[in-house]
Amino acid sequence: MSLDIRPIFSALLRNRTGAVLVALQVAIALAVLTNAVYIVDQRVTMIDRPTGIDDANMFVIDSTGFGGRFDYNASLRNDLDYLRGLSGVVDASPINHAPLSGGGSSTSIQLQPNIRNSSDTHPLNYFEMDEHELNTMGLRLIAGRNFRAEEILQPFSPAHPDAFVPQIILTKKAAESVFPKQNALGKTVYDGEGHSATIIGIVEDMLGTWPNTPQAPQSVAFFPRLPLMYGFYYLVRTRPGQRDAVMRTVEAHMATSNPDRVIRSVKPLSSIKRIVYLGDRNMAIFLATVTVLLVAITSLGIFGLATFNVSTRTKQIGTRRAVGARRGDIIRYFMVENGLITTTGVILGCALALGVGYWLSLQYALPRLDLYYLVGGILGLWTLGQIAVWQPARRASRVSPSVATRTV
Amino acid sequence: MITYYLRLALKSFRRSPGLAVLMVCAIGLGIAACVMTLTIYHVKSGNPIWWKNDKLYAVTMDSWDPNKAYDSRHPSMPPPQVTYKDAMYLAASKIPEHSAVMFRALGVLSGGTAQRRPEPIITRVTTAGFFPMFDVPFLYGGGWKSDADSAPGPVIVITREENDKLFAGANSVGRTIRWNDRDFRIVGVLDYWRPMPKFFDLNNGAFTEPEDAYIPFGWGPALQLVSAGNNMNWKPEELKTHKDFLNSETIWLQMWVQLPNSAAVQRMQSFLDSYWAEQHKAGRFPRPRNNRLTDVSGWLAANDAVSSDDEMLVGLAFAFLAVCLINTVGLLLAKFLNGAAITGMRRALGASQREIFTQHLVEVGVLAVAGALLGLVLSAFGLWALRVMFDDSDAIFGASGLPQLVRVDVSSIVATVALAVIAALAAGLYPAWRVGRLPPAIYLKSQ
Repeated sequence: MSLDIRPIFSALLRNRTGAVLVALQVAIALAVLTNAVYIVDQRVTMIDRPTGIDDANMFVIDSTGFGGRFDYNASLRNDLDYLRGLSGVVDASPINHAPLSGGGSSTSIQLQPNIRNSSDTHPLNYFEMDEHELNTMGLRLIAGRNFRAEEILQPFSPAHPDAFVPQIILTKKAAESVFPKQNALGKTVYDGEGHSATIIGIVEDMLGTWPNTPQAPQSVAFFPRLPLMYGFYYLVRTRPGQRDAVMRTVEAHMATSNPDRVIRSVKPLSSIKRIVYLGDRNMAIFLATVTVLLVAITSLGIFGLATFNVSTRTKQIGTRRAVGARRGDIIRYFMVENGLITTTGVILGCALALGVGYWLSLQYALPRLDLYYLVGGILGLWTLGQIAVWQPARRASRVSPSVATRTV
Repeated sequence: MITYYLRLALKSFRRSPGLAVLMVCAIGLGIAACVMTLTIYHVKSGNPIWWKNDKLYAVTMDSWDPNKAYDSRHPSMPPPQVTYKDAMYLAASKIPEHSAVMFRALGVLSGGTAQRRPEPIITRVTTAGFFPMFDVPFLYGGGWKSDADSAPGPVIVITREENDKLFAGANSVGRTIRWNDRDFRIVGVLDYWRPMPKFFDLNNGAFTEPEDAYIPFGWGPALQLVSAGNNMNWKPEELKTHKDFLNSETIWLQMWVQLPNSAAVQRMQSFLDSYWAEQHKAGRFPRPRNNRLTDVSGWLAANDAVSSDDEMLVGLAFAFLAVCLINTVGLLLAKFLNGAAITGMRRALGASQREIFTQHLVEVGVLAVAGALLGLVLSAFGLWALRVMFDDSDAIFGASGLPQLVRVDVSSIVATVALAVIAALAAGLYPAWRVGRLPPAIYLKSQ
């Protein structure tokens, strides 16, 4: 069975404008579709990535002490005793910045005490917490041990000058980046001033405070030190299903329990996570919506144009039927015609899609467009074109041969 | 004649209503997508103090790590903030008409007549130049004098919103409130002020709401206040005391100057450069000389106030509009050519090519108006959806004011209508011209 491409093609050439317009639409649609789907896919993958911590059952209390009467240590002890004593609470710890919040602390460590060469330093995103940090986060220790209560240092402040800490716990990823292919446990690392720290424990991976900022360090460490007294947080983990009830109790209690401090907010970690990914989520929604609309408009355009072509060619179709063309031949004619147009558009679109993808990767440092997306886009648009033209083609096939003998 | 053409247009739509709806939808959707993305882009790329664009300059000096640039994406840019010692030296210069050195700090506000619980706020610790320099509007009173800056006076400026909370909106100038555990005298109450992007401190949230209160800069060192914004240090330094911190290479302060003319800009630049040379000789500023005075629009561009996502979305919207228009051109062409028999008849009865052209253009015009109306409705709906999508009032630290700014305003209405009419007419021009040029004879003969 031949597809009779030649006559269809010459017919197309005689009436170019409509076909060129459809091919152009297909080309732009392909360029947008592949790149948009690629970007959406990256964002969705990032947002859905596991955080490594029990984020669904955690909340964050933002507390600020003020005034000369504020006693940091007493306040901390009272608050933690209260929080850990609540039924429904698994554990709680003070923390310098909430995980996933988009704001955090970072430092660099190195393997030699006195070398200042930026290529040998390893950036770390660190949390200052007490010895309840792993249980509060819901992190499992892979090797080594946790901090002991007596190892927890006072906050970094003029009175307590230790810029570094003697022991640190690293996530698996951090340990592997500092000591590739070696066991990091028990090894010594240094800060920029040459203070040393021993890696006493290695825990499972977690996302730190900057889950979606490519420039920020993604390796996470725990420091056994209380956070600064101004604007620190409590991280609380509850039993499943009890988070909201515990949050209400805590908010009511802490608002009045200490006149020398104020509670800025009590927020579930899930809403902090939502906010940090808000831009990415919005981008994905917007891209997906516009892309769906664009493909829909293109398909409807193909459909509309085919419908019109059928009605202008009624007599021609009738003539073909009268001289022996079967219904299938008529349907095939329209399908092949659409296939030719779409193929032209797709070829043009491939160049456009790759060009746009290349430009985006240069301009915005995005990863280069994956070719699978292009293949998917081509098949998708081709199928859509065939579906869009199917109904008009069938209508064309029902044109009676007798039409050819009449004048309209 | 026009009414007759309008009647013909309506008749034509009635002949194929599905097609008319499709074209109106295509135009409307394309327009709506463009208006939505352009509104976001417009808000984010706006220069909130354009009238002083040639007078205000951000001061930056490259004091960063000799081995690597501050920002690998913009390696030629100095860090966006300055160190305390540099800021103090530069702020003493008499070249600028005004200068501001500042940072964000946490604080707790209490007192007032409304008997409220102490309220956590965010404070801007700044020098007196801030208020005249940025044309900050006052409801009551004004800023403080610069003599209150270094040996800090207990004076405070609060926003209108805080004044509403603490004093139920009454003129509170001269009243005393407590900032943390100290008494401060209110010297000014700001009027509503939302510079977006917050150009003077892009580094700590370009779209966050301005701070709730302002206190003189000298309180920073006096009370050993720490910045609630970005603090960065490349150099390993042992910082035992707050004094060590102030003398360190930590960049944490924003600095702006107001320079009246290009001569002053040049004098300020050479002042920066000679300070740099002197310090460089003493062993500081290990990187190549890179001292900059950047005007507001340059500052917004250099600090990526408009994110790459916003730019991509504008590109996407215009690609979408292009597809919608090409679609409309194709459909109009098919439709007009399909009506060639009738057109041929009208031509035979004496209608000129020009009249045929006008008639079809009127038809396009009707589609354009309908598309514009639809586009306007869709834009309004879309912007409402964007407000919901951008709602970050849950943010742990400083919600953005973006949702309030993303709205239908006069300029977006004008833009929508103009865009629709131009777009649809552009789409209709070729088909209308084509159909006007058809030879009437063949279409009279048969199909």
